Order: sequence, then structure tokens, then C-alpha cells
Amino acid sequence: MKEAYIGIDIGSVSTNIIIIDQDFNVVFDYYARSNGQPLNSVKIGLRELRKRIPGDIKVRGVGTTGSGRQLIGTMIGADVVKNEITAHAAATLHYVPDVKTIFEIGGQDSKIIILKDQVVVDFSMNTVCAAGTGSFLDHQSERLDVPIEDFGDLALTAERNVRIAGRCTVFAESDMIAKQQFGFSKAEIINGLCEALVRNYINNLGRGKALQPPFVFQGGVAANKGIRAAFEKEVGHKIIIPQYFNVMGAIGVAILAKEYVEETGEPSNFKGFDVTDVDFVPSSFECNDCSNVCEVIKVEMNGKMVAALGDKCGKWTNSCGSNAKRKRVASAK
Amino acid sequence: MKISFPHMSPVIVYKRLLEMFGHEVVVPPTPTQKTFDLGVKHSPEFACFPLKVILGSYIEAIEMGAQMIMTSGGHGPCRAGYYGELHSRILKNLGYDVEIVIIDAIFPKFNDFIKKARKITNGASIFKVAKVFKVVYNLSKAIDRIEKRIEKMRAYEVNEGDCDKVWDKILKKFDKVNTIAEVEAIEKEAYGMLDNVPVVKVEEDSKIRVGVIGEIYVVMESSVNMEIEKTLGKLGVETERSQYLSDWIEHNIIPKFMRDKKIDNIIDEGKEFIEIEIGGHAVENVGYIKHFKERGFDGIIHLMPFGCLPELVNQSIVPTIIEKFDLPVLTIPIDEQTGKANNQTRIEAFVDLIKGKKELRLNNGKSKIS
Repeated sequence: MKEAYIGIDIGSVSTNIIIIDQDFNVVFDYYARSNGQPLNSVKIGLRELRKRIPGDIKVRGVGTTGSGRQLIGTMIGADVVKNEITAHAAATLHYVPDVKTIFEIGGQDSKIIILKDQVVVDFSMNTVCAAGTGSFLDHQSERLDVPIEDFGDLALTAERNVRIAGRCTVFAESDMIAKQQFGFSKAEIINGLCEALVRNYINNLGRGKALQPPFVFQGGVAANKGIRAAFEKEVGHKIIIPQYFNVMGAIGVAILAKEYVEETGEPSNFKGFDVTDVDFVPSSFECNDCSNVCEVIKVEMNGKMVAALGDKCGKWTNSCGSNAKRKRVASAK
Repeated sequence: MKISFPHMSPVIVYKRLLEMFGHEVVVPPTPTQKTFDLGVKHSPEFACFPLKVILGSYIEAIEMGAQMIMTSGGHGPCRAGYYGELHSRILKNLGYDVEIVIIDAIFPKFNDFIKKARKITNGASIFKVAKVFKVVYNLSKAIDRIEKRIEKMRAYEVNEGDCDKVWDKILKKFDKVNTIAEVEAIEKEAYGMLDNVPVVKVEEDSKIRVGVIGEIYVVMESSVNMEIEKTLGKLGVETERSQYLSDWIEHNIIPKFMRDKKIDNIIDEGKEFIEIEIGGHAVENVGYIKHFKERGFDGIIHLMPFGCLPELVNQSIVPTIIEKFDLPVLTIPIDEQTGKANNQTRIEAFVDLIKGKKELRLNNGKSKIS
């Protein structure tokens, strides 16, 4: 029987599920758009997984990361629930052990992670400005009527440089329209956009940080060759794109889950693939017990509340049997 | 006359101070989303976050019957100095009939200070004033000592939230104190209560300590800083702040020749990075980074209200400090838009970063992947 570890990254735009075996080989990877329904896409992904994996695989550990990590983690019984920054760094370190700088651009956020001697020493994360993320490109691809998949290739065919204001999506868009009216081609505009995005990203996140090679670029946006070229131009150095660039968060958290169960020797909390057949009903309500009026998100299974999130005081979160106590004892080892 | 004050923990100290002078006190409710909304609605957009929260807090207190509000003034380039005046105008325009008493430094306007101080002391004799002040001073010291112990214990409690339950009970006990002897007795009892909280034993070497520095209001009032200390405690991190009420009293009210020089020394340390007085607690905060580093802390969390000038200057000094002291610093801007989820991710990653660095040090340069 082969032992395997599942990593799930529930991001704003996509849901990624991967399985690694004992030797860190990725035996399954699944990348799908969440379309605003992460719960559903995790279910579909797990069903897909069940169909495709051989019967003799035993799940030894499960990890979740991404913005939906807590909710999904509780639902499926994850052993490790980790933030995206640590997860991404763990995966990159596995593939590029001497990495110094990680660029990660996802759908709704972007990060820079600085490492020294295989340890994260600094990071920054942008979540307030869309001008440095995948959503911005997505939106522009729709506006220009160029499928996002062709974006990068088209950018590389640009003959002239055009500078587009990338500080803010709103300004970028009006500047783009102006440049279109000046007669620049679509390819040139797209190339300008890629450069603007990278410029904005480096200015926002890289401020005050010494960026040193080797550079690794990952996240969904790394598929875009135009952005890749713009990065190489900006930092003046070759950029490494890992093979599984778009599921690195999931790989990282699977590695962390593997380390965790190996260290503690405890059996996995994973509730099994049957969770995909159970009907989870997420809903939200405003708790009116105090004037904080928290928006509480709850998940019900067969009419029973199994998970709750979002309350400041912890009344709802604690009411559904949290395993905080167990964790505290375990982490003290 | 019913009297109130800004909600900045520990409120019990201000409450006892005013009550002992015979005032009827309205304790403003702990700031919640409603307070933020009220404050934001009636404040200038570019005012910093503390002004907005405190305004909301005043409105809530007034609606509970407060007729007079006691607050502190300020000097130097930080805008806090004119906030009392601004609050009083906004409240007047909103049609609230309330008197705001802004206590400024004793000098240069000595007469003005005495006039205002009399309103607070309510005609008490100089002996009574001295006595009340001593009790309140001791109370603030006792509370801060206990809280410092809780800030350490939270990281290791077996049942999440135990320490905070005890803390609430302890604060309720302090609610009736009148003498120094009572303060001492309750402090002793409090330690006994804390001794009974079950904790996990952790090796001294693997303990993680983080200093929380920044603008005084967002550092001291946990309801506006996403309960940063509790959040860190849950992640198994000991904390200590740069701001405590007793330190503030010591530094701002006790005359220089009598006081403990701790804060003065820390400010001197900070002058290495900021040579001139730029307002707020900027210099002190930078000094604290050095102070925490010398005491072996593993990292610093720097809280900054959005648009706070002194802390904005500090933020720009942070990269230099990270390099010089090899100490990780995470700056978190705080305002009404602050999203807890994003910051939770940042804080968790920051704690992982500290753990990774620490492990590296303990294993003499060999690291694991995480």
C-alpha cells in the first residue's frame, strides 16, 4: 500500500488539489476555477481524485491553505491548516533549495517572499490593490477580447514599447484606451500592461527589499509569458518557473502535512473521500448578541452545524467542537 | 455631573480615579463595529483612526448620559494635540451638549492646568488628591504587572481562553478598590488565580517572544487592534507591549527627579534613529525595538493607524532596523477597513518566519523545509 498526502489550496479564483507520494512526487494535480463556489469545487476535485487514484493508496495526511483554508480544513478534517506564504515557501524550497526571492501572483493577491539559508526572512503581501494581480489581467483580457491563455504569447509579438500607467486599475484602463486611440496594436498594449503590472508589483511589494537571485515566479499568472518576460526585464536576471507553478501552494501544504504527521506519528484526521457525498450547506447570518454584529459563516451538515467562522468573540466557532486543545498540546512537543 | 473618558484599556483606572473624587462615571462601552461606524460617519476622512473611534466612543457615552468628558491633550507635530478641540466642535455641530475637558501638560499654561484639574478633583483637598493619586498609581502598576504575566501565559494555556476569563474576573475585583492595601491584596489573589490555570510546559529555548509597538491607542486598546495579543497568544507566542498605562503615568506625570528612568533611557536609545522629536511615541517606539532585541525577543509587530505621521516615519526606518538588528518586523496598518482575514495570514506567516529562524539558530544553521 502506498502512502500519500493531499494538499488543497482554496484561493479566491482557483481551487487546487494535489497528491504527493512518499518521495514528494506529484501523482495527481487538479486546478480549477472556483467560480465563487470554493466548497463545490473542492468537492468536484475530490471526486475526480477518487476516480483517478489507484485503490492501494492510503491517505496519511491532509493540509489546506489559501483564503478558504479554515473552512475547508474543518470540513474535510485537515491535519495542517497553513497560511499561503509558508505553504508557497515550503514548496519552492523543495524544488529550488537555494531560492532567495519568490514572486507569487494569484487571482486576488500577490506576494513577495525573501529567503535566506532556506528560511523565510521577510515577506510582503498585497491584498488591497488589484493592479498587481491576476484579476486585473482577467478583466483586461475580457475587455480586449483576447482569451487570457493567449495573452502572454501575444505580448511577446509586440514590436514597439508602450508605457501604460499601472498604478491603479482604473487609471490603467483609461490610459490603455488612450493608447489604443493613438494607434498602438493589441499586442503592444498587452505587452505594456504586463510591464505595468510587474512595475506596480515590484514598487508595491519590493519596496525597501534587496531582491536577489535565484528568482522563482509562481502562481496562476506565471503561465503568462508576457509577465515572465517583463519580470526578467525588470530584475535583469533569469526567472525560474517551477513545473507545477500553478499549484505550488497545494504542494507546499502537502509537504507540511507530511512533515507534521511524520513528526507527531498521529493518524490523519482526514474524514475520507465520502465527505464529497455529504451535503454541506454554507450560509451566513448576522449575530446580534452585541453591537459588533459579526457576519458569521456557518456550515451545516444534515442540519447540524459543523463549522463556523467570522465571529470576533469565538462563541460560534467554539460551539462546534474545536480541536484547539489538542493542537496546543501537540504544538508544544 | 456625569463624566466620561476615551475608552483606552485599562479603563478601570480612569473609572476609579473619577469615582474616588466623587464623580458619577459613565464608562463608555468597549468599541465595536457600531462605534467605528459612528466615528467614521462624523469624522473628517483623513483623520487618523484613533480620532474616529474615540469620537464614536464619545457619542455612545453621551447617549448613555455623559455630560462631561475628560481627555488628554498633546503637543508636538502629532495631530492628537488638537483632537480634543476637534472632537468638541464636531460634537457641538451634531447638537450634543457636552463639555470636553482637555488636560494638557502642567507647563507652560499652569493656571489653565489648575483650573481644569479642579474640575476633575471636584474640590477635594490637596491631601485627598495626593491620596487618590497614589491609589490610582498603584492600581495601574498592579494591573500592568498582572497583564504582563497574562501576556506570557496565554501562549501556553491548555484550554484556549482560560487566562482571559481569569483576567475579566480580576478586573472586576479591582473595580471597588479604595486603598493601596486593597490593591495589594487583590494583586496577590490574582496571582493565586493565575497559578491555577493549567499550562503546557515549554522549554525556555523554544519560547517565542514578540514585542508589540506602535501608536499608543491602537497598541493599548485591544478592541481596535484585532486583539493582536490574543491572536498571537493562540499561536503560542508571548507578547509584551511598548505602551502600558503605568509607564505613561510614570513618564508624563511624575516629576523627572523622582521617576523611574526606564522610558527616558528607551527614548535616548531611539534617538540613534530619529534625532528630533516628531510627535507621538515615534522615538520611544524605535527605542523599544532596540530594547526588545537586547532582551532576546524574536520579532516585533508594529501597529500603525492609517495616516499616523509619527508611525509612518517609523515604518520607513523599519528596513534599516531589520538589517541592523537582524530582527523581523511586521508593520500592520490599522483603520476601519482593516480586514481580519488578510492580517491573520500575515501574522501566521510572520510567526512561521520567526519559528523558522529560531530553529535555524538552535540547530546551528541546519534547517528543515518549513
